[in-house]
Amino acid sequence: MKIYSYVCKMQILRSMTYKFNVYGNIIMQTIIMLTTSFFWKALYQNAETVQGVEIGSMLTYTVISSCISVILTTNVEQRITRSVEKGTIAVDLMRPVNIFAVFFAEDLGNVVALLFQNLLPIIFIGCIFIQVPLLASGASVLMFLISLCLAFFINWLLAAIFGMWAFTAINMHALLQVKRHLIRLLSGSMIPLWFFPEWLRIVLEAFPFVYLYQLPLSIYIGKCDGMSLIRGITIQLVWLAVLSFIFYILQKRAARKVMIQGG
Amino acid sequence: MKGIAGTIFHYIDVTFVNIRMALLRVVEYPSNIIGWLLSNPVQFLVGFATIQFAVSEFGDINGWNYGQLAFLYGLAVLSHALSMIFFVQGWFMGNYVIHGEFDRYLTRPMSVLYQFFFTNINIIGVTDLIPGLCVFLYGCHKVGFHWSIGNVFMIFVLLTGATLIRGGIYIILGTTTFWTRSNNDFAQYTQEIFDKTTMYPLSMYPEGVQFVLTYLIPIGWVTFYPVSNMLGLSNDYLQTSAAVWLTLLIGILVMVLAALFFRLGLRNYESAGN
Repeated sequence: MKIYSYVCKMQILRSMTYKFNVYGNIIMQTIIMLTTSFFWKALYQNAETVQGVEIGSMLTYTVISSCISVILTTNVEQRITRSVEKGTIAVDLMRPVNIFAVFFAEDLGNVVALLFQNLLPIIFIGCIFIQVPLLASGASVLMFLISLCLAFFINWLLAAIFGMWAFTAINMHALLQVKRHLIRLLSGSMIPLWFFPEWLRIVLEAFPFVYLYQLPLSIYIGKCDGMSLIRGITIQLVWLAVLSFIFYILQKRAARKVMIQGG
Repeated sequence: MKGIAGTIFHYIDVTFVNIRMALLRVVEYPSNIIGWLLSNPVQFLVGFATIQFAVSEFGDINGWNYGQLAFLYGLAVLSHALSMIFFVQGWFMGNYVIHGEFDRYLTRPMSVLYQFFFTNINIIGVTDLIPGLCVFLYGCHKVGFHWSIGNVFMIFVLLTGATLIRGGIYIILGTTTFWTRSNNDFAQYTQEIFDKTTMYPLSMYPEGVQFVLTYLIPIGWVTFYPVSNMLGLSNDYLQTSAAVWLTLLIGILVMVLAALFFRLGLRNYESAGN
């Protein structure tokens, strides 16, 4: 544990040193956040509420979605891809620590650094240019945080499982893009699923993506409460268990595979 | 006269050789092609589908129904694809400047700007054409586009102008690295801004943004003005009846400016190392 907390601390310090990346991320998120808010404002010109959601909630949704995207930043896929490409994965696996725990500690450290570097500026910009993203009810704050934590773990496991593909498919850059686009578009991060056709919504709710963005966001704007809230969190827990299991199995097999490759 | 014709033939000849080499380079890595064949269509097809769901729920966005929106979006992706094929190098100019890659181009007896873009034609950009064409044809179907020779010609003019505007802006942005000498990669911001301003109706943005994108940075001319003209949609901000031709004109203008700016920048170029 001591080792991993040290790795985590080192990553926080390392993340603090690369300034341009930080500003770049803020600029990117700001562009996406502002244009999305104009999109909603234009759509809501002739409508008061659609699907039980009004413009104010939708703008809050947009700001908080940008914040969640900061928290759901992972590097584990790139980390694995790079070490497979360079061949350093063999050395990584030989060290007397669990390599995936190290990756996790690094990502955790990175997110902690991003909380100060990206999250605060984005909330600040959102408050000034869009609106102050107020929580629907004080009682839901706990549920929101629980759901967000679960989303963080699910997201990391998805990234790690996906990253293990790099052991077999060597060139991952395009595949990483596919994953990024799919999560961005099908998780409700920009356009919530309640605008999608019924059949597609049912299909997408069977995938873990919705539980990364839309569930915590719905809790935040007060669209999800009572039974649907309990159901949502339960499904998150189920996904967490399933993905942890898949991750555990794959991680063992992947390690063996790399050993054989190295001779 | 023969001298000029000879030069033009020489350039065309070299272009074909370059395209052939680019094709061979791409075919060398088949797994890479499959990856991009998946990635780019997913991005634009799924991206459009989600917008369409929201818009059809509300009826329209600023007077644009989703058929018209598909027409706009499709042309935006098509012009994006074309600019990716020919001008994507502009995004990475910083790298070339820092590593002194321009030395090679300077020693050859052809225009440096031509060499820079055409020795590295990006065939992968073709994968962007597929989703663009799909969404555009869907839009044509929805708005009842009349496939007359005149209309097809107008689309051709529009795409040429739009590609030149995009390419020109990439070159101008890239050329600034001759002075800054920094390697900052602003590719993704450029794409994000272009995506958001050419795929949605410009009229949904505040007036200040519309002013900037109409008169200062001509992004509004890439798709918004010509497409509103073709579809007979009016907007409050600017009325013109020849927007398609203006797009071509502005495209040529931006490209000429970009070429002049590039030559100015090149004079400031210092090679890396010795």
